[in-house]
Amino acid sequence: MAASGSSRADNGYGSQQPRRRKGPGALATAYLVIYNVVMTAGWLVIAVGLVRAYLAKGSYHSLYYSIEKPLKFFQTGALLEILHCAFGIVPSSVVLTAFQVMSRVFLTWAVTHSVKEVQTEDSVLLFVVAWTITEIIRYSFYTFSLLNHLPYLIKWARYTLFIILYPMGVSGELLTIYAALPFVRQSGLYSISLPNKYNFSFDYYTFLILVMISYIPIFPQLYFHMLHQRRKVLSHTEEHKKSE
Amino acid sequence: MHRRQKPSAPEHKRDLAAHGGALSMSHNDTRSFFNFSQLVLSAGHLKSPPVLKHSKITYFEVEILDMQSKKQICIVDKVPPSSTLLDVKHRFHKACPQWYPSRVGLQLERNGPYLKDSINIQSLAVSSIITLYFTDLGQQVGWTTFFLTEYTGPLLIYLLFYIRLSTIYDQVESTKNFRHPVVHLACFCHCLHYIRHLLETLFVHKFSGGHTPLKNMIKGCAFYWGFTSWIAYYINHPRYTPPSFGHRQVSFAALAFLMCEAGNHFINVTLAHQNNSGSKACFPSPTYNPFTWLFLLVSCPNYTYEVGSWISFTVMTQTLPVGIFAFLMVIQMSLWAQKKHKLYLKRFYPEGKFHVATAEPSVEGRQGQGHTTTRISSCFKVKGKESTSSMSHQMQLG
Repeated sequence: MAASGSSRADNGYGSQQPRRRKGPGALATAYLVIYNVVMTAGWLVIAVGLVRAYLAKGSYHSLYYSIEKPLKFFQTGALLEILHCAFGIVPSSVVLTAFQVMSRVFLTWAVTHSVKEVQTEDSVLLFVVAWTITEIIRYSFYTFSLLNHLPYLIKWARYTLFIILYPMGVSGELLTIYAALPFVRQSGLYSISLPNKYNFSFDYYTFLILVMISYIPIFPQLYFHMLHQRRKVLSHTEEHKKSE
Repeated sequence: MHRRQKPSAPEHKRDLAAHGGALSMSHNDTRSFFNFSQLVLSAGHLKSPPVLKHSKITYFEVEILDMQSKKQICIVDKVPPSSTLLDVKHRFHKACPQWYPSRVGLQLERNGPYLKDSINIQSLAVSSIITLYFTDLGQQVGWTTFFLTEYTGPLLIYLLFYIRLSTIYDQVESTKNFRHPVVHLACFCHCLHYIRHLLETLFVHKFSGGHTPLKNMIKGCAFYWGFTSWIAYYINHPRYTPPSFGHRQVSFAALAFLMCEAGNHFINVTLAHQNNSGSKACFPSPTYNPFTWLFLLVSCPNYTYEVGSWISFTVMTQTLPVGIFAFLMVIQMSLWAQKKHKLYLKRFYPEGKFHVATAEPSVEGRQGQGHTTTRISSCFKVKGKESTSSMSHQMQLG
């Protein structure tokens, strides 16, 4: 099917026409439902953990330690989504998904876990809360979509709450990276300097600065893309409702 | 045909008269009238008809609509049926001067494939009005410009690093440190590689006059220039560490590099000669030159040699960034070679009977040796045809 689609639609300029997307089979659907349910549950655990810790401690500082392990486990588990796209059971672009998941994993492990001094920062709480709410809604959205019983509330929440949560998450991330910078410079974390046998050098400090700068072109693009999607999806549903 | 009938008609009449002599007079009259009418009918035109009377030709009208808005941009009328799409594009360019022909993408239906320039207008026509959808393909650049820019950049950038500009390296360290000879050798090899590419672009490769979007050139240049800066920085750095196995490693790698360069050159020359002589129906065959014997093993030996050059360069300088660059080139060349290989299969073995044996995932595979004789005999049978496919050129020239 893929071969016939691509041979018909290839126009010599490399861009492919959209092929008829075959949905996942029954087994794949069952697996995806289980995966999404587990992820929803996991992020709910993180949410509950945050609330309990807040109530127990009385303040919102240093709540990271109470949810450190589930956060690492479930955020790393999102790497499976790249495989889902690669195997074609989810109709998303592998590159885009990989990019998104890797940026999350990078922040979880290479910044928050590696630079212990930033774990007490408030910016960590900022992005953890943003991620938690976003992921709970996103995974429940996927679960219900797969079961073809999507409540309007979940769809609305997914395409509306990002307006606040996305900038909130990005601010949290940027502040965390910025807070980590002096410690990285001081300890020379993950950096190799010349001379060495393989004539290679890497400066993690400069790399983090470049990552921060890269947010500037990427964030607005993704944000406006989501806004565009929102207009398309929610107005489409409005039309459907009116026509009934 | 008309003229032939005139002299034969009197003969025809004479034959019939001979036959008719035996019959009665009344029969003769009818028959002669019949013969006369036949003569009139078979005589044909009294004067030769005009070859092309303008009122008899169906001119086509080509309506060009914008693909996004479906609004009419212009109508190209009085298009003779023998003209090609390229002629229409030229006429369109005259009407709308900002869309020069290489920038124009025309489709028969929205979201359909782009039509080739060589397509005959008549083959597209369903009625006397043809509707085409126009897409702006963006600023285009010729292949020669593309490759010249892409290859001149690395040449100059590496030399900038080689001379150790004070803004890049610390001046004190630069003057103090002794430079290992491999650094000079690396500069020589690198420059040789790109000078060879430039000379081949200018004198050996024959481009079919195709174009590519400017965006592609920007991407290609960013990739080559960026990586060249990165690798040149490390090789020419004052704190560069020479290879671990010393002179033996350097000389072996340098030899391999030179052999791969020579091989690449000869393959390109062979392919260019084949293009010139027009025997594109034949798969390029190995000649007396030992470097071309790689055609027996792989479909696109120029890519193999290119990859070989970069791997030798990596070993010679023992620099990780060069290794990363070589790895990316391997991926890129394998993809191009696979496409080229499929193109060859489609062109030379359209029945698809021959089994393809791939030597290894990254190296281009080919049919086994047993089919060599069949291939050679089929080369003599099929007449070569010039096919101008710009995509094949893109893939041919790594």
